[in-house]
Amino acid sequence: MASRLSRIWPTLSRVRLSSALGSRCVSQTPKSSASGAAVASDLQQPVSPAAQDSHGHAEVSPFEKNPDFHGFHHHDSFVDEWNMRLAFFLGISVTIVVGGTFIHYLPDHGMRQWARREAERLIKLREAEGFPLMTENYYDPSTIVLPSSGEE
Amino acid sequence: MLKVLIPTIMLFPTIWLTSPKWLWTTTTAHSLLIALTSLTWLKWTSETGWTSANTYLATDPLSTPLLVLTCWLLPLMILASQNHINPGPISRQRTYIMLLTSLQTFLIMAFGATEIIMFYIMFEATLIPTLIIITRWGNQTERLNAGAYFLFYTLAGSLPLLVALLLLQQSAGTLSMLVLQYSQPLQLNPWGHTIWWAGCLIAFLVKMPLYGVHLWLPKAHVEAPVAGSMVLAAVLLKLGGYGMMRMMVMLDPLSKELAYPFIILALWGIIMTGSICLRQTDLKSLIAYSSVGHMGLVAGGILIQTPWGFSGAIILMIAHGLASSALFCLANTTYERTHSRTMVLARGLQVIFPLTAVWWFTANLANLALPPLPNLMGELMIITTLFSWSPWTILLTGLGTLITASYSLYMFLMSQRGPTPNHITGLQPFHTREHLLITLHLIPIILLVTKPELMWGWCY
Repeated sequence: MASRLSRIWPTLSRVRLSSALGSRCVSQTPKSSASGAAVASDLQQPVSPAAQDSHGHAEVSPFEKNPDFHGFHHHDSFVDEWNMRLAFFLGISVTIVVGGTFIHYLPDHGMRQWARREAERLIKLREAEGFPLMTENYYDPSTIVLPSSGEE
Repeated sequence: MLKVLIPTIMLFPTIWLTSPKWLWTTTTAHSLLIALTSLTWLKWTSETGWTSANTYLATDPLSTPLLVLTCWLLPLMILASQNHINPGPISRQRTYIMLLTSLQTFLIMAFGATEIIMFYIMFEATLIPTLIIITRWGNQTERLNAGAYFLFYTLAGSLPLLVALLLLQQSAGTLSMLVLQYSQPLQLNPWGHTIWWAGCLIAFLVKMPLYGVHLWLPKAHVEAPVAGSMVLAAVLLKLGGYGMMRMMVMLDPLSKELAYPFIILALWGIIMTGSICLRQTDLKSLIAYSSVGHMGLVAGGILIQTPWGFSGAIILMIAHGLASSALFCLANTTYERTHSRTMVLARGLQVIFPLTAVWWFTANLANLALPPLPNLMGELMIITTLFSWSPWTILLTGLGTLITASYSLYMFLMSQRGPTPNHITGLQPFHTREHLLITLHLIPIILLVTKPELMWGWCY
């Protein structure tokens, strides 16, 4: 409650002062720019465009100062541009394209294709020799030593 | 393993020593290079279980897709947070990225752990950065409640897990996953064995979350800032699934009967949470409940303990991680512009943001499991294995799929179609950063269609 009041009060006092002085505390956007006038007139409260909202963004769109704003850095267009370039290059060209090519050319994942080929080879071999495709017992039963029943 | 872990730890000096101007550029670049290096884990050339092994960490076909997803997510989180964290003081920005990085480190060590106690410690350790992110950077007063629910639900589930693990350690002599799969099952009286079984799994069921213990999820996902929502939905829920799959190996044969109520609860949860989604007014809450539904299907697939169930669970976890994270990013773009999550306030966005409407459309299609995306493939495998376990489950899963499609369509139509209200025609255009963020989510899903064997796990 107190924080809300403390945020509203400076704006209110500024509004009263500015209307009393007959001037507006506007930012440096030239009066002739239609978008600047539209922004100012569209706002419900007569708040100065230089005031910040709760996220610290200026009420004026960053696209006004920098029409090529990429969303990375609000004030410095050089950093904004290079952040965009690096993010795109490393994200798409390097990781997705180069990384994707690397993944594509990885050898037989989990030996699944080998297993298929080996199975087909063994089937062909066993069918040719007349052996069953697979024996019932995995281990040779004669090698298994069981305790005789009745013993503890 | 260390070739990814050490660069992630070195991200801490990067964060604190970079000049404020280049902080976000450097951390984005560094984390993308880590993501590139993590792709080497996908090489699985032999049929043996564990690769990239050292004494404490190793990867196997179950943990590898989740590890790659985790490493991929850090740059995405940094990209997503840049706009709303940037205006703050520089030390706060550094702290935020440091929390994301510490979460990343714990997650890599959790998924790579070969010993279950290490996994447990990292599982618990991930709670702390997430709690700080939710309670410090959340936007509404409800964030405190959300953090408390998140922390205490997970802790209440995981303390029995600690006891169960210590019991297992005493009986088997080791808790190394490499060895434990071959060890003798625990010898306890029937009641003790049941409680031990429950103790092993409840922590992960709460984390997934299973319907019934899911209440922390809508709160935590909604109140967290975008990076928190992303990491929660994409990775932290999967920690639960991963933990369950690891523990399942040791819990036989008791799981045959005991899994029954949990499978039913999970399937019922799909229906219930899907129906809740259809009545939601809050966009993030809708996406959060849809996560509960999808993870209910994953829980069902894991508890069934068939190879198809396990494979389907891994596939669905990866696909859902990317799709859900994409949806949270899209919801955040709306939130940053209108400062509201109410869906009726931001309708008809297609007219003013046409390209973003494409991303909304694709993300929603992924969410409703459109073929040939892996979301459908995972769901289909789980549904099939559930059907072979009991034909009656098709009623629940079929209805669940139908409801999933309805609420995904509802989300798309509510946000994109319809008349655009006058109060949002003046919104800021979409940033290049936001387009990049969504494409970096959606391109991997589409690419996974071409090589799904990366996600099949060790069962198939």
